Amino acid sequence: MDVQEAVAEGTASAENGEVKRDARKQFSMGPGDILEGKLIYDGSVHADGRVEGEVRVTGNIDVASGASVKALLEGGNVTLKGQVEGMVTARDKLTLGKNARLSGDIQVRRLQIDDGATLNGHVRMGDFEHQASGQ
Amino acid sequence: MILSTRRPASRLATPVPAENGANGQPNSVVLGPNDRLVGQLYIEGDLRVSGTVDGTLEATGDIEIAGGGKVNGDVTAYNRLTVGRDASLIAGAVRIARLTVADGATFSGKVSMGKHVAEAPKPAEPVVPVVEPFVAEVPSVVVEPAPAKPVQQKSKRR
Repeated sequence: MDVQEAVAEGTASAENGEVKRDARKQFSMGPGDILEGKLIYDGSVHADGRVEGEVRVTGNIDVASGASVKALLEGGNVTLKGQVEGMVTARDKLTLGKNARLSGDIQVRRLQIDDGATLNGHVRMGDFEHQASGQ
Repeated sequence: MILSTRRPASRLATPVPAENGANGQPNSVVLGPNDRLVGQLYIEGDLRVSGTVDGTLEATGDIEIAGGGKVNGDVTAYNRLTVGRDASLIAGAVRIARLTVADGATFSGKVSMGKHVAEAPKPAEPVVPVVEPFVAEVPSVVVEPAPAKPVQQKSKRR
């Protein structure tokens, strides 16, 4: 198992021209992977395995169905299929798949909850601060 | 015949009589697009709202907020809550067993999912400790050897 103590303040800013908006980077985890700590990432994250801490991305977050997440999540589109404990912010849309189990407060612009999903927490929709988004 | 399949019995803390409707059918109440409700509504059965509600809704079956339905207030559905694409629910508390929110819906509130149905009647009845004679007998015997007279400080030497 890989334990990544991620303190990746890796916002490889767009001004140096290395990161194009179109070709977003993807941070992809497998079912046996573990991430503990704080990840700030300019791109998208596919979370699987176990995640604990804080994940803030400029792109999208997608939590796989077998994943166990105890973390603050912030991203553009956030799609949850696994088990998540913690605050979730979706600057655009949060989707809870049918097997998703989320306990924590959420702040979203758009929300879709599929039948079968479990949600316990406070839902806030619409106007929210754009700062601290890591952009 | 199909009555029993509408709601799984395991979800209901208090079994709802299936024949609560006038004609033996489960109740189903519809608030149409031009309907408006201000206040509280309790339905033994299903509720479908495409109008406007300012108040508290509670249904023993499903609640569906559909079309351009707008609900401002707490919602409790013993089974399932559905919020449609153009519908809006602004609530303080939402207590349901199952939840579906369509993309495009407006939804906010504190969501509690699970076996909330059993919790709801609890606050109504005051908690009165019932003294069972069986339990009371045991301590009465044990309490006996406790020091009845106050022991003075200086008498205790060591």
